[in-house]
Amino acid sequence: MNFNLINLVPEILAERPSTSISDIWGKTIQFNKGEFIKITAPSGTGKTTLVHILYGLRKDYKGSIQFQGKEIISANPTEIAILRQLHWSIVFQDLRLFPTLTARENIELKRVLQPPIVKAAEIDSMAHQLGVFAVLDQKAVHCSFGEQQRICIIRALMQPFDFLIMDEPFSHLDNVNKKMAAKLIQEECKKRGAGLIITDLDKDEHFDYQINLNL
Amino acid sequence: MITARLGLGMAVFLLLTAVQIQTNYHYLLNGSNSKDSIADFLVINKKLDNNNLGNTELNQKLISEIAKQPFTQSIGLLSPSRFKASIESISNQFPFYTDISFESVPNNFIDIKDIQFTWEPNDAYVPVIVPNMFLDIYNFQFSLSQNLPQLTPSIVKMVVFKLTVHGKNGPVSFNAKIVGLSDRISSMLVPTEFIEWGNKYAGYNASSNFSRLVIKTNDPSNPLLAEFLEKNNLSTNTDKLRYSKYRKVIDAVVSISGFTGLIMLVFAIIIFTLFIQITIANCRQEIILLITLGASPNQLYKFLMRQFYPGNLLSILFALLLLIVLQITLKTTLDKQMILIPTFISVYTICIAFTLSILVWIVTKNAIKKHIDS
Repeated sequence: MNFNLINLVPEILAERPSTSISDIWGKTIQFNKGEFIKITAPSGTGKTTLVHILYGLRKDYKGSIQFQGKEIISANPTEIAILRQLHWSIVFQDLRLFPTLTARENIELKRVLQPPIVKAAEIDSMAHQLGVFAVLDQKAVHCSFGEQQRICIIRALMQPFDFLIMDEPFSHLDNVNKKMAAKLIQEECKKRGAGLIITDLDKDEHFDYQINLNL
Repeated sequence: MITARLGLGMAVFLLLTAVQIQTNYHYLLNGSNSKDSIADFLVINKKLDNNNLGNTELNQKLISEIAKQPFTQSIGLLSPSRFKASIESISNQFPFYTDISFESVPNNFIDIKDIQFTWEPNDAYVPVIVPNMFLDIYNFQFSLSQNLPQLTPSIVKMVVFKLTVHGKNGPVSFNAKIVGLSDRISSMLVPTEFIEWGNKYAGYNASSNFSRLVIKTNDPSNPLLAEFLEKNNLSTNTDKLRYSKYRKVIDAVVSISGFTGLIMLVFAIIIFTLFIQITIANCRQEIILLITLGASPNQLYKFLMRQFYPGNLLSILFALLLLIVLQITLKTTLDKQMILIPTFISVYTICIAFTLSILVWIVTKNAIKKHIDS
């Protein structure tokens, strides 16, 4: 299980000088299952664009990106759905929760989107670990951004995956919460033997990264 | 949404009602309880007026035309007696004498079962079938006015009387006996063999001239039948055609109900399709987020079908249930008037309801798929 990026350059960044000094854009690079990969970049260099391309949300790029040897761009909606249910999980920078559903409902929805591999009771357990148990039955729109971020992390851990892709997942968490969230994420990735692709503005030591890249 | 479902339920109800009315009516016409009733057999003759006095014979062309009509199942010619005849009592206790005439009809048009309705010159008696009406006239008018005893059908069948045929070689007498009473043909019926013998004895050989015939029809209410008779200046017992008037009313009710139901169904489906479109458009952001999180088109389709279809199915089932209740109520009401219809709605009605469920399922499915794909 791996991603192959071959001379990948997003169209919107193609003219920018920063792409020429990137470790990723325009290069041939591989992300393997089980690897913890940190991608560090300042604002505006395309972190979210990269995450969206990896997750199959954007197709406006040159070059090629493959998963298990197959071009992601040519996958049909059903194939993409299978990849998102069984092989890729994600924490968006803009979170993307259903505002009118409760935190628990948001998590549960993801848990049952495919045959569940996590018991419903584990939602409570994870929420306890991340300090959001009290807000589980509140509507997502009424939770703070930091709480929503932790709910998104729990939601991402509800499914099987080979890669967990996270876009600035701790941006609104304090250090204590960052550590607790990182611990939970690491445990869940190890359980699945999964890889982690995390983008952030700065370097960090939340995980034992095998690969550190600058975008 | 409630309006669309209400409309759908009403449309389905009207359509099913149209089908059920039609099947109820067919049951009344063809059901076992009305089989071989007077409504199935019609005696036809020319209308007698000043222009055709003495010329009421039915020609072969007209007989063939009647036989070819879609409402005619079979046709039987009524042969009249051309000889003078009389009957009289052989008992002094119950004296009577009257001149009389007879008719004969093919045996398959006779509704008296288990009798041997044939005759040979050496037979012990001539079997006669008498219209029920004659006995009624006797029992409820004549006997009362003449101070005579009333007679039951079984007593009448026991009476043997003398039947005399007057021919060129003088009168010949036979014993005769009433073997049955019938509502079907209002004539004194004797076997065809007796009529042929009598006509021959009286010196009358023209056996091909007929003035009356009887037809068997599966639908005496068929408006074509009344039209045909009118067009050819023919008449029958108008009472037997009374159903044709009801039939026209029922046809009109069925047409109006069916047409209104169809129009409503079309509108309900259009409103419903628009509703699906609006709902999906309103939930566009949520649907996109679900797809982003990994929902497959098939999962979305199933989810939306679960939202929309059960309500529609419920509308159809409710309409069907209402019709079942109405049918049972109608059955109870009509039973009191001795009109027998089935207690339960017909298989055709259920089949139509099932077909409509499938139609609505296809419309729902297509509307959802179209909007998910877009």
